[in-house]
Amino acid sequence: MYNLLYKELRLAAHPSLYVFLFMGALVLIPAYPYGVVFFFGMLGIFQTMMYGRETRDIYFTALLPIPKRGVVKAKLLLAAFAQLAELAISLPFAFLRTRYLAGGNPVGIEANLAFYGIGLMIFGVFNIVFFPQFFKTAYKAGTAFIIAMIPAVLGIIAMEALVHIPGLGWLDGIDAASLTRQIPLLLAGIAVYAITWFSAYRLSAKRLSQVNL
Amino acid sequence: MNALRVENLTKHYPRFTLDNVSFTLERGCIMGLIGKNGAGKTTTLKSILNLVSPDAGTIEILGQPFPAQEAACKQKLGVVLGGIDFYRNQRLSAITETARRFYEDWDETACRRYHEEFGLDPAKKVAELSSGMRVKYLIALALSHHAELFLFDEPTSGLDPVSRDELLALFRALVADGTRSILYSTHITSDLEKCASSITYIKEGDVLASAEKSQFLQSFQHLRTPEDTAPLTLEDIMIRTERREYHV
Repeated sequence: MYNLLYKELRLAAHPSLYVFLFMGALVLIPAYPYGVVFFFGMLGIFQTMMYGRETRDIYFTALLPIPKRGVVKAKLLLAAFAQLAELAISLPFAFLRTRYLAGGNPVGIEANLAFYGIGLMIFGVFNIVFFPQFFKTAYKAGTAFIIAMIPAVLGIIAMEALVHIPGLGWLDGIDAASLTRQIPLLLAGIAVYAITWFSAYRLSAKRLSQVNL
Repeated sequence: MNALRVENLTKHYPRFTLDNVSFTLERGCIMGLIGKNGAGKTTTLKSILNLVSPDAGTIEILGQPFPAQEAACKQKLGVVLGGIDFYRNQRLSAITETARRFYEDWDETACRRYHEEFGLDPAKKVAELSSGMRVKYLIALALSHHAELFLFDEPTSGLDPVSRDELLALFRALVADGTRSILYSTHITSDLEKCASSITYIKEGDVLASAEKSQFLQSFQHLRTPEDTAPLTLEDIMIRTERREYHV
């Protein structure tokens, strides 16, 4: 598993993926739709899949001494690494924001636990749609990205809009009481991300086994 | 033990069928896989590698069933797919460093030795290598993990005669000690006259013949005409077998 991730990071990842890891810093902007942070976590993966087509990465991986499904595992490991690393890198910025820019985010959701919980769900939805769609052909990354972005963008819009609904103000809070109410949402996000990751792997591997490279 | 045994390999496409392809490659031999463009040579090789999923057939690599033992079989495989260059903007050192992690029998000393032997500079990028050097690099990688079966898909296509001759000499050297074997698809039949010990001929998805080279040549001598003064070459055999007449 480590070797596959090493291979992805050393040879397969598009340079933009590394830049996008730091997009979590956007939460320092006083008024901004922070859901955009998740968009970059998906865009980096898409760019990498396009880049892989150019570098013939799938052929190289498929010829390594691993089962064919290892091709899928490598990509999903990279996705998990990129998405989770982006969120991890954003954490200190979110902390700085809530400490020093405590005026709230008038545009949409605050960088709080609900933000991370819903964000993980958005990543999960993207992964379960994008990867099985891509591995139907192992080269049509554009189509897969457009199809996967529809629910992901709707999720981002919903996240940003929900906090403006009266009665759901706790989703936007950074006080102790609101954060406590948000914990189940964060846990649900972690669970959804894990379940969709494994499902995306199994479904994509099954589809790739039928693909003629 | 055979290096490779393929039995009744079948793959259906909407307009093409690879139909019950069977042949056996013995250890220490170079087998040429010939046929015109679109005959099914690449599909055969890709099916053997599980890049294409065959509809039926049995494949045995170095005595092990494939793809049941896919990872173990690939430990002993070296592959050159013509026209497919990996990571053109990466340095050889980065690709080597990554590849070596996957092979149980990786031999760093051998890797350095073959790089020197083939004049490969690890600091160079793939794009900076000539086509012939790219083939040599992939062979150096395969030799570094002690590959015993080499599958080459059109490795000499597009090379100048000198580079082709160099590679053919390398192929002969690879099998010289009798432990390594090569399955080599090409439509440059003159290359096979120089280095192959057996030939498998695929026409429109069917194996027309698969035999030791002299037997193979002998079996097609019925195609000779009274004008022929010398035995037919592989090229003559292919041309006469595939020739079409146009009525326009």
